Amino acid sequence: MSGEKKKWVGTSYKRKEDMRLLTGRGTFMDDILLPNMKHAAILRSPYAHAKILDVDISEALKAPGVIGVVTGEDVKQESKPYPCGVTIPTKYYTCAVDKVRFVGEPVAVVVAENRYLAEDALDLIEVDYDPLDAVVNIEKAIEPDAPVLHENIGSNVYNHRFFKYGTDWDTLCQEADEVVKWKFNFPKYAGSPIETYGVIATYNAYDKSYVVYNNYQGPFVNHALTAMALGVPENKMRWIIPTDIGGGFGTKTGIYPYCALMAIVAKKTGVTVKWIEDRREHLMASATCTDRVTYIEAAVSKEGKILGLKDKAMDTSGGYIRPPEPGCAYRSTGNHTGAYDIRNLDREVYIVATNKGLTAPLRGYGCQELYFSTERITDMAAAKLGMDPAEIRFKNFIQPEQMPYTTATGGYYDVGNYPAAFKKCLDLVEYEKMREYQKKAREEGRLVGIGLASVTDPSVTNIAYVAIGKTAEERKNERDKSGSGEAAIVKVDPLGGITVICSTNPQGQGHETVISQIVADEFGVHPDQVVVDSVVDSSDRLYSITTGSFSSRFASSGTTAIVRASRQCLEKAKKIAAHLLKIDLEDVVVEDGKFFGKDNPEKAIKLRHIAGAAHWNQYDLPEGMDAGLFGTSLWTMPTSRPPDAQDRVNSSNTYGFVAEAIVVEVDKETGEVKFLKWASVHDAGTILNPQIVRGQVLGSIVQAIGGSMYEEQAYDENGQCLTASFADYLCPTAMEMPKVDVDHFESPSVLTALGSKGAGEGSSMSVPPAIGNAIADALAPLGAVVDELPMTPSKIWHLINDATAQTN
Amino acid sequence: MKPTAFEYFTPTTVQEALQLLESQGDEAKIIAGGQSLVAMMNFRAARPEALIDINNIKELDYFREEGDEIVIGALTRERTLEVSPLIKEKCPVLAKAITHIGHLAIRFRGTVGGTLVHADPTAEIPVTSLALDAKMKIVSPSGERVLSADEFFVTYLTSAVEENELLVEVRIPTFPSKTTAWSYVDISRRFGDFAIVGVATILSMDDAGVCKEARIALGGVAPTPVRAKDAEALLAGQKLTGELIEEAAIKAAEGDNVDPDSDYHATAEYRKAMAKVLTKRGLTEAWTTFEGSK
Amino acid sequence: MKIEGTYTFKAPQEKVWETFNTVEHLQKALPGCEKLEETEPGKYDVYLKIGISAVKGKYKGKFEIADPQPPNSYKLVGQGKGLPGYVKGEALISLSQDGENTVLAYDGDVQVGGLLAGIGQRMIGGISKMMLEQFFKSMDDILK
Repeated sequence: MSGEKKKWVGTSYKRKEDMRLLTGRGTFMDDILLPNMKHAAILRSPYAHAKILDVDISEALKAPGVIGVVTGEDVKQESKPYPCGVTIPTKYYTCAVDKVRFVGEPVAVVVAENRYLAEDALDLIEVDYDPLDAVVNIEKAIEPDAPVLHENIGSNVYNHRFFKYGTDWDTLCQEADEVVKWKFNFPKYAGSPIETYGVIATYNAYDKSYVVYNNYQGPFVNHALTAMALGVPENKMRWIIPTDIGGGFGTKTGIYPYCALMAIVAKKTGVTVKWIEDRREHLMASATCTDRVTYIEAAVSKEGKILGLKDKAMDTSGGYIRPPEPGCAYRSTGNHTGAYDIRNLDREVYIVATNKGLTAPLRGYGCQELYFSTERITDMAAAKLGMDPAEIRFKNFIQPEQMPYTTATGGYYDVGNYPAAFKKCLDLVEYEKMREYQKKAREEGRLVGIGLASVTDPSVTNIAYVAIGKTAEERKNERDKSGSGEAAIVKVDPLGGITVICSTNPQGQGHETVISQIVADEFGVHPDQVVVDSVVDSSDRLYSITTGSFSSRFASSGTTAIVRASRQCLEKAKKIAAHLLKIDLEDVVVEDGKFFGKDNPEKAIKLRHIAGAAHWNQYDLPEGMDAGLFGTSLWTMPTSRPPDAQDRVNSSNTYGFVAEAIVVEVDKETGEVKFLKWASVHDAGTILNPQIVRGQVLGSIVQAIGGSMYEEQAYDENGQCLTASFADYLCPTAMEMPKVDVDHFESPSVLTALGSKGAGEGSSMSVPPAIGNAIADALAPLGAVVDELPMTPSKIWHLINDATAQTN
Repeated sequence: MKPTAFEYFTPTTVQEALQLLESQGDEAKIIAGGQSLVAMMNFRAARPEALIDINNIKELDYFREEGDEIVIGALTRERTLEVSPLIKEKCPVLAKAITHIGHLAIRFRGTVGGTLVHADPTAEIPVTSLALDAKMKIVSPSGERVLSADEFFVTYLTSAVEENELLVEVRIPTFPSKTTAWSYVDISRRFGDFAIVGVATILSMDDAGVCKEARIALGGVAPTPVRAKDAEALLAGQKLTGELIEEAAIKAAEGDNVDPDSDYHATAEYRKAMAKVLTKRGLTEAWTTFEGSK
Repeated sequence: MKIEGTYTFKAPQEKVWETFNTVEHLQKALPGCEKLEETEPGKYDVYLKIGISAVKGKYKGKFEIADPQPPNSYKLVGQGKGLPGYVKGEALISLSQDGENTVLAYDGDVQVGGLLAGIGQRMIGGISKMMLEQFFKSMDDILK
């Protein structure tokens, strides 16, 4: 059967996208020009927290070139608040109505002939604010005297839940030989795609429908929710996403409120409106990951076995909570205990309101926050026991014989060999040799550290994870939620050409190339002969609430849908071939794009002939068969079940493994960190295109270096954003990228058609803890503790000096 | 963000530029390389009603040796000096300092005059100009005046150049490698970023290895670049040793004029500590390179 | 951002107090002050045009001389808004006699928001100090 001998999948087929991208011929949002298109600019709040007493747009309306101005009052009339997976009565409108709750929140929109004139008119809008005290610290937000952001909620708690799995904590502590505890702070940082948000909206007043071009990356649940917010049937709101998106990283999951906003603006002003977000807007008011405060305890035996974990994690989704939050706390439910065989977990989760920018999934989504605390406490436990951090990990890994393994929290790990993959990483970094090197360096007074991290890499989220925000009791009253579907249509045209249309919308990951490789293998054609249409149009392709390009789902879920659609199409082709060759279906062989009987290979017909028969001579098709030649699939992984009554949920569907080993030297005088050696080993299942995967690994590494050492969406105590330009929001450049030795450990998934798991997020989750562990190890002789990120030279210097002062 | 609308003028002589400054008033701004101004305009932080583009004033684009000095026209591009054999030979500390400015593309546009008038206390050319005791020639409709670097920098982003004046030339003494131990060191968050602290060091040495005169300028520790006078006095007339350098570095960081602020990127304590660390590293680098070249 | 410092005037304390409470003097001395109007005793509307280098802006604001303890101290509370953002500040101004001179001490807090907060944080302290120095120097000239 075709598809088993892989000629193209697994090779580094050169990316088809690159020529057009590198020569400036991609089609991005700003390349789309519609007739009579006008331009929008958004007036944004300079206050973190204030009442809006009045918005006077009279002068702005008179400004040159202005077509119209829309305010929060208009938005309130034209839309309903977004529904969200929490029980509190959230009221998130895409434009501030009575209050502003974070700096940068939209307050009004001007539409003018061009962006320059629109911004000139913004200057003329007079907003009368009554400033209120702001709160930016997560723990302060739930103190009794904290300023309350949402009066109708009455407190700053968006969500608060408890979870208990296995033996209760107090009993466990009595069994344990040591209990190690610490508090960790994880920062708020962004994806910083090169291309910002872009939206073009039009409204048809006759059939009351919208067309909104935008650079969304999914999940398409937000298409449905936006239709609900706008009060239109979902099929009257068409979203069109262009061929090229300049990076997503999760940040472009947060564009949907701007789609609603511009849709309303188009309706109110009666024109086609284009809005291209500028960088300052993006850094303040697009989306970041949540920052998190974690109190974590690990109960361990003296042999180094982690008996259980207890953690209280406190997130903030900013001034509002909006879908897919509360996912930040719950996406990682299934893999909470990571790669370790830990059966007992006591969890408390808070998601609170603060006067900061809003959140959305960011590459890693919840796992970098989680693993920073679990991997750091693992190292602390090792130190307490006088054990090498590699040794404690080997003592706790889930063993290959335990696969498939169901975690205490409901995660289903189908395959993997964590000890072997981790050993591969240690060998790659020459671990023993590096420990010797560290010993010598310490004798010379140098601060050399080795940081390890070993984590499971969840991909293809099961939308059920959002439901965990509610208790089992609360869930009883609603429809269960579950699923991870991705769609593909593979069609063969009358001349035999193959076109593939998917529900995933790439932002530069090279999907077009990989899809071509897969379909080429299935049909026995050359990848160049496969055409992939990356434009996602909600009207003409299959999608569901789970579809899109996020949570690394293309490689496993998306590709399986493509394989299934291809094979469905091939089955039909074989039936037609059998009919034309007058042989039995079981005797049809497909090889190198040719169809023949197994006993008569010389009498072969090509796909072209079969397509010809299917299209050009429809009467002669087998009885009862539809004309044409195509296959479709909207495939959901069978492991995507709803949560059970004990709050166990398989929050993702494929689980890879990532190991990092980083050797650093910290300059005692300046606090600067130098990377001396770095090994990164990934188990992403079957590798579909090694060059593309390598790009993903290096990309996630450098992005994680950003969050660990350079990037932060920072606020002062009054909620003013301190990093609203690239002068202060520091993305690592090529000069900050160290040399990394990357290797792979392939244990193919048994759940996906090609055995691939996700590769897109990997190191985003493992690098922040590994860097934290490395710097902590470097500073260990001084007694300094690393419990937060980003680790800047100034912060490291203070740690060194405070520790030195204490010992003196 | 998009800038506000502005009138745009392209004078070809200094006189024309001065006339425009006069006629356009205090809402006009000179634009040379634009590497600082254009970003400010795009943020709408700066909203000049007129831009006077001096890039066509050829009479400002020159540099040459004059005796034991080098005169540099205000329009000279940073890159030009960076690669100039004359600068590398006669005032290498300036060429080295320039390599720390941003990235290559920026240095192709940025001008000496522009960065001096922008007066960022961490910027490489202002810090080095203070170590050099550079002289700045400023012209206005009523004539010309010359200020020392010390008088030129007033506070954050503020030079002594008035609204109706134009900086036309900078004059620096030569400090050839044969008789000068020099260095430029800084620390920044990323390669090419604004320095947190930067130090320019120029030591005039005699054949016996004695430091006849020391000049140490620090950036990032005050609203303007400052000279570490006490450290300089300690070194003057002395043979360099490790202990002496350590002492000088301590003195440099503890000077009255070292009074940094804290900001998101670094605390005041850190900046003060880096003043010492970089002064020491700068002196050490200058000394060992000089010894090594003999 | 905390700001604090002192300035010495060559004048007796009573005279300094009086000068600091006279609207005409304040208007002359405040850098960039285009208009100053007393709306209620001790409360003023003010229009300033201030800036550093190319970053200039017009600000409309209010300030209040609160809690006056003549001739020793008062609290200055003010806020202003302009296109580049807003400024809010509060300072305790205390005077004390030192021989023939009066030492004025200020101890306060400046908050900025909007564009200024995003791109000018580092400089707020230094610039506030500079503007205060300018203001005190102008007041000093008036006293002479």
